[in-house]
Amino acid sequence: MNNGCFIYEDTFLSLLTLIDYLLKNNIKPANIKNNSYFPNLLDQVIHLELKENKNIFKELISVIGPLASRAVYYVFLSTEENKELIIYYVILNGYKYKEQILTHRNLRCISKTIKISKYVAHEIHKYKGFLRFQEFENNLLYAEIEPVNKILELISNHFKQRLKNEYWIIKDVGRNIFCLYDKKKYYIVSGNEFSINEHIKSNHELEIEELWKSFYKTIGIQERKNDRCRMNFMPKKYWKYMLEMEDEL
Amino acid sequence: MELKEKLCILADSAKYDASCSSSGSKRNTNSKIGNVAASGICHSFASDGRCISLLKILLTNCCIFDCKYCLNRKSNTIKRAIFTPEEICEITLNFYRRNYIEGLFLSSGILKSPDYTMELLIKTIRLLRNKYHFGGYIHAKAIPGASEKLLKELGALVDRLSANIELPTENGLKLLAPNKDSSKVHKIMNYVKNNRNQKFVPAGQSTQMIIGATKESDWDIMTKSSHLYNEYNLKRVFYSAYVPVNKDTYLPSLEKPPLIRENRLYQADFLLRFYHFKVNDLLSPDNPNFNILVDPKADWALRHLKEFPKEILTSSYYDLLKIPGIGVKSAKRIIQSRRVFKLCFNDLKKMGVVLKRAKYFITCGGKYFIDSNLFKKDFIEKNLMLEEKIPEKKEFEQLRLFNE
Repeated sequence: MNNGCFIYEDTFLSLLTLIDYLLKNNIKPANIKNNSYFPNLLDQVIHLELKENKNIFKELISVIGPLASRAVYYVFLSTEENKELIIYYVILNGYKYKEQILTHRNLRCISKTIKISKYVAHEIHKYKGFLRFQEFENNLLYAEIEPVNKILELISNHFKQRLKNEYWIIKDVGRNIFCLYDKKKYYIVSGNEFSINEHIKSNHELEIEELWKSFYKTIGIQERKNDRCRMNFMPKKYWKYMLEMEDEL
Repeated sequence: MELKEKLCILADSAKYDASCSSSGSKRNTNSKIGNVAASGICHSFASDGRCISLLKILLTNCCIFDCKYCLNRKSNTIKRAIFTPEEICEITLNFYRRNYIEGLFLSSGILKSPDYTMELLIKTIRLLRNKYHFGGYIHAKAIPGASEKLLKELGALVDRLSANIELPTENGLKLLAPNKDSSKVHKIMNYVKNNRNQKFVPAGQSTQMIIGATKESDWDIMTKSSHLYNEYNLKRVFYSAYVPVNKDTYLPSLEKPPLIRENRLYQADFLLRFYHFKVNDLLSPDNPNFNILVDPKADWALRHLKEFPKEILTSSYYDLLKIPGIGVKSAKRIIQSRRVFKLCFNDLKKMGVVLKRAKYFITCGGKYFIDSNLFKKDFIEKNLMLEEKIPEKKEFEQLRLFNE
């Protein structure tokens, strides 16, 4: 089975379960891909029917520690093409270097992991600030984001604590998935099962938006105008969903 | 007056306060809406590139003081406005729910008396915290001269409480802010320092100095900052390049705010707080101002070339911190990583070391990045400048345009 291309169900736990199996059986994969992968002619595709181990992430944390485990999870959320193999090599080396694993920056898988997880963490942090809700008439808050990485759940976790007594929905436009929060729990649902009707903003909503836009314009100091600095901190790709930037797009 | 016009007037009057940080607070509240994020979150960036984290407003821009540099001084004929506590709560909550902001920054001109103004601030914030159960970040300005009882009340409601020292010396203050008394500001700082805990000003206090409105040197400013950090455990001293909003014979007529100078002061401020530098290392009465062309750390290194080049593989943490281009994080990473493998120049880059500055001051495994005979002041200085892409000379002369 060495050098096969192994397929996993597109979940983090299923990937970890597969990697755990490969390591325990000393199998060296040529590639690991999720089930939407379209194999090419040379691939020797192997589909193992493994039962997802619910405790596998906890086991990983006990080996390489919480920080490195989180970095691995962030790599999984990224769009890096070979992320599965990177994770495989991190865990392989993780058994050797344990909690010290992240200090081994001379290993390619580690320097990649650090770089990618940083990028994902950065995007999560930016969206915590740049996401904008609008309020529908039934008090429902609604926001759209278009992140590069699959961070909807982590963003939602932040708002679950912050806006715990509100009903809200966040849509990942690019992936067409929604997160719905009902004051208790949030649910991730696909756009195939759920949709939001075209919505006209109420007068009250327009007034609040107008207040925010005037505040934004006022708070900048004309004599210190610095477009480059602003662009560094707030790249244009975020502007599309930011109310106050509408006029400048 | 419409709410929108009020907001514009009172945000416009508040915008010269540099502080907008929302970090460093930890509170366990049973709030109905909102929490604080330890890292702080920026929600937008204004046209001047400064972060917008808080709804930064004044309660009122009416003021009984007549500080020369201030837009809101008594003698200016500008439109005056005042928010009601309910209005402030309404805007704050509506903005917060939509994730426009991280919380509220509330300051005020002085209405009637310091105590009277303080009571209004307290009333507003109490409404926000107790009626609306708002758990987001609040930074309030303490009014110098207000009683201790009111300080105690306000401090228990907010995350950060601060008072601006405005100018580094008594003389400067007397000249430009004749109604202000620095001892009152020190009194506030002292009170906050002695009473700070989880439930009283958990995110600590900060202050601000105006740069370039008076003739004080960088030495004066840094000495003052260092004193404030040591004496009152301040979280931050902010430096605000003076923007000429008023015309006055006591004020310099600047064409542009001294932004590069402001930047150098921030760099030096970080050197004091995180890099174990002392003011005396960086400046002296004979050399009272920062070099506008190179940053303070590189400037220091050029004056102390005898201590360089430092060996990456063996230097202590404190020595690594003295190297231009190496920060707190990269120094820690170097220490961690060199225990487990042998570092080379390329690895340093991956760790976040800014090699375009650092390479002139280090050896890695005994090797200099080029011929070690070139390790000379002229060579390094010339190349540092080239790599920094120094802007045109014109901008640097902005500080000498005093009209007396």
